[in-house]
Amino acid sequence: MKPFIELDSVSFTYHQENAQPLIAVDHVSLSIQKGQHVAILGRNGSGKSTLARLINALEQPDEGSVLVDGLLTNLEENIWEIRRRCGMVFQNPDNQIIGTTVEEDVAFGPENLGFAQPKIRKAVDEALAYVGLSDMAQKPPHFLSGGQKQKLAIAGILAMRPACLILDEATSMLDPYSSDELMKLVHKLIKDEHLTVINITHNMEEALLADFVYVMSEGKIILSGKPAEVFDQVETVKSLGLDVPVHCDILYQLSSMLDLPLMPQETADWSKACHAAVRLLDQSEAAGNIHLLSDQSVFNKPGLVQDGSPNQPEPSGSAADGSKEEKIPLHLTEHQQQAAEKKPKNPEAIVEVDGLTYTYTPGTVLSTDALHDVSFKVFRGELLGVIGHSGSGKSTLIQHLNGLLRTQTGRVEVLNLDASNNHDIRKIRQHVGLVFQYPEHQLFEETVFQDIAFGPKRLGLDMNQVEQRVLKAARIVSLSEDMLERSPFELSGGQKRRAAIAGVLAMEPDVLIMDEPAAGLDPAGRDELLGYAAKLREMGVTVILVSHSMDDIARMADRVLVLNEGRVHAYGTLDQIFNDDTALKAAGLSLPRPVAFMRMMKTQISSISEYAYTPEQAAIELIRAYCAQTADQKTENQEKDDQKTAGREKASQTKDCRELADQMKAGDEHAR
Amino acid sequence: MLGNISLGRFYPAESLLHQLDPRSKILSAIAMMFLIFMSQSLWTMLILAFITFVFVGLSKVPFKTVLSGLKPMIFILVFAFTINLFTVTGDPLLEIGPLTVSDQGLLTALRMASRLALLILNTTLFLTLTTTPIHVADAMESLLNPLRRIGFPAHEMAMMMSIALRFVPTLLEETDKIMKAQSSRGADYDTGGLITKARGLVSVLIPLFVSAFKRAEDLAVAMEARCYRGGEGRTRLKVMAYQQRDIWFGAVMAALVVLVLLASYAIG
Repeated sequence: MKPFIELDSVSFTYHQENAQPLIAVDHVSLSIQKGQHVAILGRNGSGKSTLARLINALEQPDEGSVLVDGLLTNLEENIWEIRRRCGMVFQNPDNQIIGTTVEEDVAFGPENLGFAQPKIRKAVDEALAYVGLSDMAQKPPHFLSGGQKQKLAIAGILAMRPACLILDEATSMLDPYSSDELMKLVHKLIKDEHLTVINITHNMEEALLADFVYVMSEGKIILSGKPAEVFDQVETVKSLGLDVPVHCDILYQLSSMLDLPLMPQETADWSKACHAAVRLLDQSEAAGNIHLLSDQSVFNKPGLVQDGSPNQPEPSGSAADGSKEEKIPLHLTEHQQQAAEKKPKNPEAIVEVDGLTYTYTPGTVLSTDALHDVSFKVFRGELLGVIGHSGSGKSTLIQHLNGLLRTQTGRVEVLNLDASNNHDIRKIRQHVGLVFQYPEHQLFEETVFQDIAFGPKRLGLDMNQVEQRVLKAARIVSLSEDMLERSPFELSGGQKRRAAIAGVLAMEPDVLIMDEPAAGLDPAGRDELLGYAAKLREMGVTVILVSHSMDDIARMADRVLVLNEGRVHAYGTLDQIFNDDTALKAAGLSLPRPVAFMRMMKTQISSISEYAYTPEQAAIELIRAYCAQTADQKTENQEKDDQKTAGREKASQTKDCRELADQMKAGDEHAR
Repeated sequence: MLGNISLGRFYPAESLLHQLDPRSKILSAIAMMFLIFMSQSLWTMLILAFITFVFVGLSKVPFKTVLSGLKPMIFILVFAFTINLFTVTGDPLLEIGPLTVSDQGLLTALRMASRLALLILNTTLFLTLTTTPIHVADAMESLLNPLRRIGFPAHEMAMMMSIALRFVPTLLEETDKIMKAQSSRGADYDTGGLITKARGLVSVLIPLFVSAFKRAEDLAVAMEARCYRGGEGRTRLKVMAYQQRDIWFGAVMAALVVLVLLASYAIG
């Protein structure tokens, strides 16, 4: 069969003023069959968006040829037909809506194509009905949520009767719920309309849904294959600044800990990965290797402490281990663990919110309740995660914490200062730094240095102190000194964001609020940004991390505040929050993926603890639980006369657990 | 929330004036302006005021709402009235200190003020209260379309206007966000002298412009991707078509123009 899209050794270079020409696409050849669903992965700036533009005839190749449905993109007469057949959904929902009402926007494409009026009407109505926006037809677009705007963009393409849909990071500005909805819609289109779909994305779980995956780096295709084939190459994928889906990562960690190879495509989906885990563990057990690990080992810790989860029965074998010193669960990440150790008996509440209720435009028809009776505390030195999907009141809440919004009902106190008092607000803003979503949009000075200095200057510091603060802030976010003298608008996207964050850090706040700091970044960029949050926390800054990514929150936070429809839906430690996933589901949130995976593994290894917040913790827990289970089976077969000594041995092994976990980690890092 | 603001002061209702083709309303507004400028005497002014009240009645917009359209112009109205009142010479009626009010002055002042007021009332009634901005843009495009032959960019102007309208709420929201972000870094937009405030504005305007340019760039690509290539060969979802009522209304307007012109000539 003739491919629907065919690229033959295509190259494309951007020629910029005052800069080196940038080779965005470098001799790329690929072919996509009709009806195929293809994902293109790659870091920011790897050339994947340019590739999409080449396919859509928005750019013409410098070298090679692009053939879409038998039409060459570099022939003027083909351009419009190609663009009609290949619709494109862009990253920013706002910047692709042209119409002043929803239906006018859908009509934009058909109008340009010169459809007759009745045909436009029909196309618009059908497209809106298909994406489920019919009742919004007359509304202006700013009434729509981000997810609805992207659905509107798809409707606008459907109305042109396309054969192919290109999603250019279309879900990267959406919350997980809206992205899921959008991907469901895309899949419905694949099924009903047999559309060819090209999904350019950073989201590895989305890539799993594709038939075929291309991985790009520096304008070249580095890897390609079925998703399972590509994600078998964990090391290569990670070295490209990308990620693999969580279950692939857990299995990869497990296989390297057990020193046993995985079979090709053994982690294609969750249930396969589940079987693969059992296979690896069984195999290691058969070879006797797992006991080499467990004899000395971390993995033999009898039962994780079920910190604050009363509904959870104590795992068998933990009877010997009721001592108070073992309050620190193994599964905390390093920084969380250190914090737990350092935590003073009576932590100081640095922020106190009590009974906060907020209504926008009260007393009018447009009045909306954004917050309702919200109460919580933030303790000095902790990292509090605030999670909830769009519209849950997160933004409204954090704007109260530094007095950007005045309290209507209830109290907000920061360091015993009252956020409703004008005089105190000035002081509060010196203590509470707020990094907005997409903070790079607030850059304005001539140089990065001056921009970072904006805040400290306002504090009335002398030039010396200002400079010190700027340099210190820049160092925290790894901005080199030569970058400080450049214009902020010359920097790359990630650098801009770091500069903007430095601008807030230079205020040296006691409390730093970060709203979705990793939004729109690729996996490596995300890890880097979240790394800064962890670093600041180690420096003693209290951090409030706002996110809609459960995985990020689980990895980072000490405690979590879940908001839903302006109310506190859940509030407590990670274990308390994730103990009850019905509550999370009611708030439209899902479990962190490692936790969900462990929950599934429970069918195989019943004594497993679900509270693993990183793939590495999950792998360690798998080995521990497996050893505990086989040990139990053996003791059942054995006589019970040695029970007391066994108990003592276990207790002594427990002490070694953390030490060994550290060794394992060090070893891992060394290997990398 | 800033996002919920509506542009202009469109008053949703179902009335003859709302249902008229926007082009009829633009033409009517122009006809009324013409008459208001032509009328020289207070009497014709009174007739025109009466006609305006009839239109307000036909629009089903509360009279108070229509009058509130004068609010932003109140200073100019008072100014025009006072200047004419005291400067036009004639038979003195009243003396207040060094100032003299003449009969001619009073008449001219009344005429000027009522002329201005009627102009404003008619345009707001026809073009903002009963017509959405986007309809005005579409109607302008359609009316100016014949001028395309001599190179007048009618379609482009309408498209620009419509995009501007579309992005006003987005940019307002953005402004709010940038101001909050800078306030968090210690910027203060409420206190300080004029110069401090002006300097503070820089920290809002530059990011706003940068973002507007970025949006413009994105939007241009999105429009091209959706096959936009100018007005040539473009059709519309909503085709404007004159209805029976437009013909009737047009006939009445034409008759009014003739009548008022004759009347003002007769009154002289």
